Amino acid sequence: MPTELPYAADAEVSLSYDELEVLRLQYQKELSQSHVTTQTKFNYAWGLVKSPMREHQAEGVRLLQELYRAEPSRRRECLYYLSLGHYKMGNYDEAKRFNSLLMEKEPTNLQAQSLASLIDQRITKEGYIGMAIAGGAAALGTILLASLIRRATRK
Amino acid sequence: MDFATLGRAPMHLSLGRRRITSRDLQIVEATDELLSEEVPEPDGVAQNVSLLRGFNATIPSAEKSRIRRRQTRNVDAPRLGLKRLGMSARGMLGGEEDHDGESVASEEDVVYISNSETRGRKSKGKRRGRQSLSAGKTFGREELLRQTQEIERDKENLHVRRTLINSEIVEITNKIEALDAMRAKLEHDLLKLQEDELELDDELEGVKERLELEESTSRTRGVVHVDHIQSSRRRKGPAFLPSEHDELPPAGHSTPITALDFSEPYGTLVSASQEDSQPRVWDLLTGEEVGRLRGHQGTVKCVQVEDQVCLTGGEDGTVHVWDLRRVDDDDEWEGAMLSLSDVAEEDESQDGGVVKTNGIRSGSSKPSSVSERDGPCIRVLEGHTKTVSTLYFEDECLVTGASDKTMRQWDLNTGQCVMTMDILWAISHPTAAIPGNALPNHLFSGAAAAAGTFAVPTPPYADGTWDMYEDFVGAVQFWGYALVSGSGDGAVRMWDMRTGQPHRTLLGHTGPVTCLQFDELHVISGSLDKSIRIWDLRTGGIFETLKYDHAVSALQFDTRKIVAATGENGVKIYNRTSMQHSTLMTNGHMKPVERLRYMDRYLVSGARDSTVKIWAL
Repeated sequence: MPTELPYAADAEVSLSYDELEVLRLQYQKELSQSHVTTQTKFNYAWGLVKSPMREHQAEGVRLLQELYRAEPSRRRECLYYLSLGHYKMGNYDEAKRFNSLLMEKEPTNLQAQSLASLIDQRITKEGYIGMAIAGGAAALGTILLASLIRRATRK
Repeated sequence: MDFATLGRAPMHLSLGRRRITSRDLQIVEATDELLSEEVPEPDGVAQNVSLLRGFNATIPSAEKSRIRRRQTRNVDAPRLGLKRLGMSARGMLGGEEDHDGESVASEEDVVYISNSETRGRKSKGKRRGRQSLSAGKTFGREELLRQTQEIERDKENLHVRRTLINSEIVEITNKIEALDAMRAKLEHDLLKLQEDELELDDELEGVKERLELEESTSRTRGVVHVDHIQSSRRRKGPAFLPSEHDELPPAGHSTPITALDFSEPYGTLVSASQEDSQPRVWDLLTGEEVGRLRGHQGTVKCVQVEDQVCLTGGEDGTVHVWDLRRVDDDDEWEGAMLSLSDVAEEDESQDGGVVKTNGIRSGSSKPSSVSERDGPCIRVLEGHTKTVSTLYFEDECLVTGASDKTMRQWDLNTGQCVMTMDILWAISHPTAAIPGNALPNHLFSGAAAAAGTFAVPTPPYADGTWDMYEDFVGAVQFWGYALVSGSGDGAVRMWDMRTGQPHRTLLGHTGPVTCLQFDELHVISGSLDKSIRIWDLRTGGIFETLKYDHAVSALQFDTRKIVAATGENGVKIYNRTSMQHSTLMTNGHMKPVERLRYMDRYLVSGARDSTVKIWAL
């Protein structure tokens, strides 16, 4: 199967308001006719994920999850989009889990590989911040402790 | 990774606007469930067209380049109404189309600014009048190459969209099929419920009658016995409670009714009359004639209808299989009418010439399928040398009885005669008859029967008229391998269809048996000897004898009643529980009733006054 997946950078390029509105209207129209085609749903979801607004992203991921449930044949593709959506939302753990499942199925998938490295970067970055915070807290603690001890020993 | 979660904490804290909503939680919580789902290999459209491909093909910007090209060419985009029309007709992409205008409007501006010089020239040209592509404008090689590429991409996009729509259509078709199947199942369930209700009604009525009877006779019999046997001759098929009514199709026959049967209450009725080779098909719901069954070469003597399948047997010795769905009113029928007169002679000449076929050898008799014509006749079963007087079929098995004193078993799938059962042979090799029941004065001895054609005058009907009765085999019915026949020698024979041998003969009638039916417990037979006899299947003895004033020509029974045509104007009903006789007379036939058939509470009777009447029991 030819892997036709967008790179993570693609998800950062948001659609114009008009374009997203068109996708939304199309989705809503089909929703009112009570038959939403897979493509329409995906279009709207992907448009939402691309959006910089977090509420949009969350809604997009939710739609992708619905797709994932309803369309077994599309699941593999959806794995990537779900991972990407979570990545954009900052849920790196979930992003990593979805992506690693996809990597399991398709170890040669370039997009998945690049996304995996991106996620890892973010996680390590957060790790550094975390370490810094922990280090800072530890330093603060020792200073406080030291001052307490000093105060105690003075008396 | 603990550091990572820790590192994320201040982000959540510091960026106040990124508050965690319930939706976020919902999404995160669903992760485990989704991950545990099976991820199958993509197939079908998912294999050919990726979601992203579809996205690129269907988002509004996919149309942009085309619109841009059109603008450069001065072709007014909305004027291509045909394509637009097609799109909106398909409905799927209508929404997008509608909003193309908006998004394009903004796009247009961009284009104008970016190449304002060329644009300016072109917009002038636009005003000069709408020119076609060949209007002598130069675009330059680059632009044209770009357009070529764009067009190619657009075409590809179009292909993708077509694939998508096709797959959606396939999916919807599948869904519709699934829904149809479900609907059929539900309808079936509903029918079953109706049948169950009907059965319960029947049972209740039986119990009530029993109760009344026992109270009136003030005899305590202990436990009330409830019959579980189903009501009608047929064990399956839809059943409906007819409302009380007494309507009749307008008289179409001009001679006494010889045979009738119907598919279900308010369904399709097929009736045949004397000297008429074309049985009529009626719609019982509207009471109108739907058409005729053309193909027989003489009077039709027996009819059976199951759903859309109808079998008729006639004086020409053939059995025709009809598909009632194909019956039409409009085909010409005069031709068949003309040949009617010379049928009788033909029949007689055949009688003399053709050696009577015996045994299984005659199974090779030609079953010519006459399906070349588009008529309702599916198949013609030929083999009997004389009038087919009775037939009974269930599923693919058919048994016919004929005046050539044989019965034949047919496979309706192939149209082949599977077996021939010779009644004369059975007469000359009597099986152990029940002692004491043996008939002292047989109507004929075996030899007499073999000698010539069978014909006895019927005892006069109630109106004094009489007929020649020539049907040697009056009635047949089978269940599984058990076949019961009633014949002109007054005997009711029980046959094993695996061997083709009779294994028991019920003797008692002193006249030809004209009609019979059996269930798990009893055989009930009617005869020209003016009686109906109820035989006990276990002992083979007579359980009950009902005497009438005239010859019995038709009967049908269920656990609670026996409905019979006994040569009188009224239809006789014998209540088996209360043992009371009643007669359907009101607005009834003007001449003796000869044929009847009922299903649940829906009775159809045919009489010598050429009319068919419908009764609610």
